[in-house]
Amino acid sequence: MKKIVKWSLTALSCAALLAGCGGGNGNGSESDQGQAKTDADGTRVYSAFMGVAGKELPEDNRINVALADLVGARAEVTWLTGQTAKERIGVMIAGGEYPDMMDASDAYSQMVDAGGFVPLEDYIDDYPNIKALYTDLEWEKIKAANDGHIYAIPQFSSVKGENMETNYGQQAFWIQKRVLQWANYPQITTVDEYFDLINAYAAEHPETDGQPTIGFEILTDDWRYFTLENPPAFLAGYPNDGAAIVNPDTLEAKVYDTIPEAKAYFQKLSEQYDKGTVDPEAFTAKYDQYIAKLSSGRVLGMVDQYWQFEQAVNSLKSQGKDEMTYVPFGLVLDPSVQPQYKEVPSLNTNGGLGITISNDDVEGTLEFLDGILSEEAMILRTWGEEGIDYEIDENGKFYRTEEQRANWINTDWVDTNAIDYGYLPAYKGMYSDGINSVLPHEQLSEFQKNLVDIDREVLAAYGHEKWSDFMAVQDPVTPWFPIYTERDSWTSSDPAGIAKQKMTEVKMKWLPKLVMDGPEKFEANWEAYMADYEKNVDYKVYEEKLTEEVKRRVEVEEEILEKLGQE
Amino acid sequence: MDATKDVTVKKKKTLATRMWQQKELILIALPFVVYILVFNYAPLMGWLMAFQRYRPGLGLWEQEWVGLENFKMLFSDASFIRVIRNTISMSLINLSLGFFFSIAFAVMLNELKNRHVKKIIQTVSYLPHFLSWIIVTGIVLDVLSTETGVINQLLMALNVIEQPINFLADPKYFWWIVGFSNVWKSTGWGSIIYLSSMSSINEELYEAAEMDGANRLRKIWHITLPGIKPTIFILLLINIGNIMNAGFEVQYLLGNGLVQEVSQTIDIYVLRYGISLGNYSLATAAGIFNSVISVVLITLANKFSKAAGEESLF
Repeated sequence: MKKIVKWSLTALSCAALLAGCGGGNGNGSESDQGQAKTDADGTRVYSAFMGVAGKELPEDNRINVALADLVGARAEVTWLTGQTAKERIGVMIAGGEYPDMMDASDAYSQMVDAGGFVPLEDYIDDYPNIKALYTDLEWEKIKAANDGHIYAIPQFSSVKGENMETNYGQQAFWIQKRVLQWANYPQITTVDEYFDLINAYAAEHPETDGQPTIGFEILTDDWRYFTLENPPAFLAGYPNDGAAIVNPDTLEAKVYDTIPEAKAYFQKLSEQYDKGTVDPEAFTAKYDQYIAKLSSGRVLGMVDQYWQFEQAVNSLKSQGKDEMTYVPFGLVLDPSVQPQYKEVPSLNTNGGLGITISNDDVEGTLEFLDGILSEEAMILRTWGEEGIDYEIDENGKFYRTEEQRANWINTDWVDTNAIDYGYLPAYKGMYSDGINSVLPHEQLSEFQKNLVDIDREVLAAYGHEKWSDFMAVQDPVTPWFPIYTERDSWTSSDPAGIAKQKMTEVKMKWLPKLVMDGPEKFEANWEAYMADYEKNVDYKVYEEKLTEEVKRRVEVEEEILEKLGQE
Repeated sequence: MDATKDVTVKKKKTLATRMWQQKELILIALPFVVYILVFNYAPLMGWLMAFQRYRPGLGLWEQEWVGLENFKMLFSDASFIRVIRNTISMSLINLSLGFFFSIAFAVMLNELKNRHVKKIIQTVSYLPHFLSWIIVTGIVLDVLSTETGVINQLLMALNVIEQPINFLADPKYFWWIVGFSNVWKSTGWGSIIYLSSMSSINEELYEAAEMDGANRLRKIWHITLPGIKPTIFILLLINIGNIMNAGFEVQYLLGNGLVQEVSQTIDIYVLRYGISLGNYSLATAAGIFNSVISVVLITLANKFSKAAGEESLF
């Protein structure tokens, strides 16, 4: 008996050992990355990974099926969860296995370094719809920024016809509609006016729905803390260059952490914190808690970029609390400064959707992308199917009935019917008929029908047709904009990359302290902060690298314009 | 019977003979040895990366060699030194609190007479071990909140403080928050080994002590604790090797800008400066440092333990 037991245990262990070896490398995941699959009906399937968070929608959604029928291929889109893009894609690079298509987000330069993308510049001319996304000048700019290659197709920089943007999706100082209504729609231009209004309202309304009202909230969780540290650049009248402020005459880049507007802004914040206007938990709360607080409707105002708290706004709307949603303002410290908060859709030369070296069917994939960019496919992607999602009136204008509009606001309905191709190449603006805008919410007639009463009131009181009218657009559009894309390409072999990391650490340590210690200790704290900054952050090297890039971008644009002018 | 016969039979068995006699046992162990060789020892080749400027996409032997540059960079960076300090402190706090609470809990459970109650308490106590840190830190964030947190409300109700304390914003609380979160999560699980150890203590010892007039506390002090001394030592030795791995999840999830000087551990440093910036060489160098220190610590602790006449691992 004992011998049998011994031998059967031995056999079992050996079997376990061999099972691990024998499978070889095919034992991996079912969904083989990089192997083109096809559906039962012959539709080609490509895998796509997006280095940002997003919602994965089922493949058998109505519109997904319709689009796959039209184009003859489809993409299985997966999104980033639980890590940063650099971490996730770092792992992919280390393993050498990629999905067919990828948007590498801020790991783009790592992918390029590792040779993970297939250069596309020789293919683009064969695919008219892809080529038509950008002008020759823009394609040349992309090539110039990438050693003569095109590794990725930017998805959000293509606008055909007029820019029809209705909502404002970028950075601003936001304030709740009910506060404006209560104060009878005053004009707000400076930070002082803003805080005065918030404090006045909070004094009268200490509670919202049973919970204490929060005057001003700041998001500081991990990489999202830029909302705490970048207002000085905007307040000084610079656009969203992100990494630094650039002097348009001398073409020099400077960090904005040491300018007088930075000191003035944080001093104001410290005063407001002392008064109790700023949420004491702002510096320890995580992103989820931030969204939760906003969704409860009790935060009167914050400075942020819309896409960070869009979730909360949607929640407020579905709770029917439209008067607690937000209106953007482009504030300054000094009324004589012109704000430049709003960006013109700019060309991102260092990012987009790329085709990876694990893809065995590059031409097929490009055909798929070309297919989904045809006008018919775009209408499917943006408006939906005629008769189900939209109607056409006698002038050829698209519109939606009450029922259709209700469907598209309902997140559950959207999840079961829509498509998650948001990060595949697309364009915005207007369709070729010159009547309809590409995106339904940018169609002015649809936009206005979707407004609730308070929205109409607010817009009318300020004399605007849509939300984006509240914000002044950047002027002029400089050739190097946006310079932050350069910073994203630094790896830690650059001293500038190390400087960037140190800068983050020093700021994350001092900025909360400056605000929380209040106005009496502010001067002393500011001195200590500046000393720490000087000592630990090699910002000279940071500024130099950026200045170099600014000048390079200006030169490149001049060269390309010359070359194209000659052709 | 015969003296000579005994001598001839007792000739020294060679290693090969002994191995053949234990062939079944060796075969059973073989898969696991292979596993350890493949997954734990073979990857050590990757330590070469620490002496290169590693760029992904090129092979291991095609990289640029930079010698000790990465190590120099690590040790000249004040943040790395600070981070080592944080890691060691949090580990020591975790170790001491963990030991104290696990043993105390096991001792208390051991004193329970009612077996039903004992079983129920034990089961409930090790449930937190199975929760992931994401959930536990979510609970911690809630409990310590200034507005709705239970701790603040309790302290205010008892009139110990007037204003709620923002625990997570103050560096001096951070290590203790991590320590007690760990205690909450792992006390139940940690006490299992001690409890099973205690159950193997001879009952007669207790009876003898009873007759000598020992009360409950004396019994614990003189019988129970000495009885589990070997277990305590072995576990201590094993855990000392883990000092450099104070963990990553808790500090990453609970940390913020205000406490970053005390909250960042070696793992978080490696993440920020190594992996996030694509600098795999630096990350490997920090990892080597970790491993070397751990091995040195375990060897030293083992030596001391042997010298003191206690248990030892090797």
